[in-house]
Amino acid sequence: MKIYLLSESPSGYGLFEGHGSDEIGQNTEAVRSSVSDLTRFGRVVQLTAFHPFQSALDALNQINAVSEGYMSDELRSFLELNLPKVKEGKKPKFSLGVSEPKIGSCIFEATKIPCQSNEFVHELLRGVRQHFDRFIKDLKPGDLEKAQLGLAHSYSRAKVKFNVNRVDNMVIQAIFMLDTLDKDINSFAMRVREWYSWHFPELVKIVNDNYLYAKVSKIIVDKSKLSEEHIPMLTEALSDEDKAREVVEAGKASMGQDLSPVDLINVQTFAQRVMDLADYRKKLYDYLVTKMSDIAPNLAALIGEMVGARLISHAGSLTNLAKCPSSTLQILGAEKALFRALKTRGNTPKYGLIFHSSFIGRASAKNKGRIARFLANKCSIASRIDCFADNSTTAFGEKLREQVEERLDFYDKGVAPRKNVDVMKEVLENLEKKDEGEKTVNASEKKKKRKTEEKEEEKEEEKSKKKKKKSKAVEREELTATDNGHSKKKKKTKSQDDE
Amino acid sequence: MRPPKTGRGGGGSGGGRGLARGGVVSSTRGRESGRGRGPGRVKGRESEPGSGIKGGSKVLVTPHRHAGVFVAKSKADALVTKNLVPGEIIYNEKRIFVQNEDRSTVEYRVWNPHRSKLADAITTGVDNIWIKPGVKVLYLGASSGYTVSHISDIVGPEGCVYAVEHSHICGKVLMNMAEKRTNVIPIIEDARDPAKYRMLVGMVDVIFSDVAQPDQAKILSLNASYFLKSGGHFMISIKANSIDSTIAAETVYQMEVEKLQMEELRPTEILHLDSCEEKHACVFGGYRLPRKQKADSAV
Repeated sequence: MKIYLLSESPSGYGLFEGHGSDEIGQNTEAVRSSVSDLTRFGRVVQLTAFHPFQSALDALNQINAVSEGYMSDELRSFLELNLPKVKEGKKPKFSLGVSEPKIGSCIFEATKIPCQSNEFVHELLRGVRQHFDRFIKDLKPGDLEKAQLGLAHSYSRAKVKFNVNRVDNMVIQAIFMLDTLDKDINSFAMRVREWYSWHFPELVKIVNDNYLYAKVSKIIVDKSKLSEEHIPMLTEALSDEDKAREVVEAGKASMGQDLSPVDLINVQTFAQRVMDLADYRKKLYDYLVTKMSDIAPNLAALIGEMVGARLISHAGSLTNLAKCPSSTLQILGAEKALFRALKTRGNTPKYGLIFHSSFIGRASAKNKGRIARFLANKCSIASRIDCFADNSTTAFGEKLREQVEERLDFYDKGVAPRKNVDVMKEVLENLEKKDEGEKTVNASEKKKKRKTEEKEEEKEEEKSKKKKKKSKAVEREELTATDNGHSKKKKKTKSQDDE
Repeated sequence: MRPPKTGRGGGGSGGGRGLARGGVVSSTRGRESGRGRGPGRVKGRESEPGSGIKGGSKVLVTPHRHAGVFVAKSKADALVTKNLVPGEIIYNEKRIFVQNEDRSTVEYRVWNPHRSKLADAITTGVDNIWIKPGVKVLYLGASSGYTVSHISDIVGPEGCVYAVEHSHICGKVLMNMAEKRTNVIPIIEDARDPAKYRMLVGMVDVIFSDVAQPDQAKILSLNASYFLKSGGHFMISIKANSIDSTIAAETVYQMEVEKLQMEELRPTEILHLDSCEEKHACVFGGYRLPRKQKADSAV
């Protein structure tokens, strides 16, 4: 009775044949002793076939099937190809050893290959696992570990539903890039001004903006060729006809030296570079705005994308920002002042990066500190919602923003603001109403398109069910999160201690 | 063997307040800003108790009896491991920098026995932890990966650590850590079903189990039968209250040991961890160890 063994590895499926089974019989003890020695084990078990996985995605599908105990199509074709054919009616003269009975019964049902998974098979498979890389000639020593690593990462990511779009690293990098770009564009623009001023010094005083200067210098090129026909173009660039005339006049009476064509081309290219960089900076800013609305919509709605992104990058990640207490958030960015004040027992700073949001500027001098604290509290709430909620919505962020506005009004005029509990209840009701509305819309559509578009219906039903589930999950989470932030904080410290 | 030169005592917090970089303070110069790591950690908090290394003190780092582990001696001793990924810290732990003769710095991370049962066992004085450079370890109950990171430091790039953790929240932190350390393989799966992740794990030399479940002996033995090589070793940490909170701790430990012995996991050491936690014990042992007296080699 021949026994085959199925061994699943991250690189592929392996089929082994147990030879000396006549000698060992079904003796577990003998197998164990043979496992330790490769040469002995090599006589007991030999490789019949190996089917490598085509790609990382293929490997992920296979491991999902294997871990659930199902037989995938690739496995089925592999087995049917390499095992002797099972004839109808006749009892097969071999059996396949597998690691666990569930996959064994699946294989048997589909292909009628008899499977067993007892202790004997287990011992043999242990041996196979130990010496696997020696059996498969194509595998180099480190390959199996690398395959394990890659497959484990993709499997685990699928398990925790790792969403690529919600990676906050992009925002951190974008903010750094933005700052670097600003510095570089500024220094390049100054260089253009200096360089071109050798040729046309008066232009510096007329055109103040860096970007416009680069544009104008590209239009003018050589000031000796400047004439009336350039005025429309200049007006378009400067959006001021008087200025355009000024430029032309200054060009005629300029005291700058002439430049050879080669030099002029050089200046031109450089000016073009500056303009390109400035355009890129604008695009990068738009990219940042979109990313912020993806990963932290509430924070962006509350204090704006730039300040929000700076907070996230200063804290290191969105999770770090969510973990820190709101008092830390208030003075993020003012660490030098903070520790200096703490050491010398002076007054600690009232605001850090938060200062750049519009609210602080609008408060009167003696209320700045109060608004800063209030804003930091709301930002903490917003960042926690963004970090831990499953779906992303700006509803909370907008309501929090309203609350800050109300607070500002209160300081100005004494108008009493609403209670936090009421505001949060409102948000949750709105979210639920939105989902209810969508569900009723779907129901009426169902009645209309009953017979002809059944498939479409099912899809919509699923979507509405998912949305309802999501809103319920958000509700549950938010009730715990927004209950004055206390219960969530307690949970947090507890989980931190446990870790 | 000559111990490395005393380095700048970079391990402590200055003046009772940690700085925003997880407590890295260089004694002579001011704040180290050129670490190249961009945003600093936001942590003004004081360090954990147990590592009383203050900034500015001279620190001497010597190898521990266990390979891969080191001891940092100054006013108070601390257990440290050599950082596999210099510049990265996991949990705001302190780092110690030692300068070699050739002016390169070696970075060590402090290992806190209050946070990690393995560190606790080492400071209590276990004979042999079986984890050394080049070894493959299966870690059940990896949580956020604090101990896993130190084990990964010890086993180095030749070894590897298969970290199994069921919870998704801890799993995310574990996966982030594993992205920086290539010898950690994260597996987000229930340790009760080793069959589910059998495709991801090879044969290991040591199994480390810290799951705190009532059936943890069964979990360990099942995983051992799949993945632990014959003659391999294991360590299991037993929390008496997890198994049965009504009976005495000693009885619980005995029960667990008996359960293990039935599954060919022979304990060689039982350590009571009373310094940092109460009612905790650690059992070290071997799996399918060959019996020297009997004639046939089969166990």
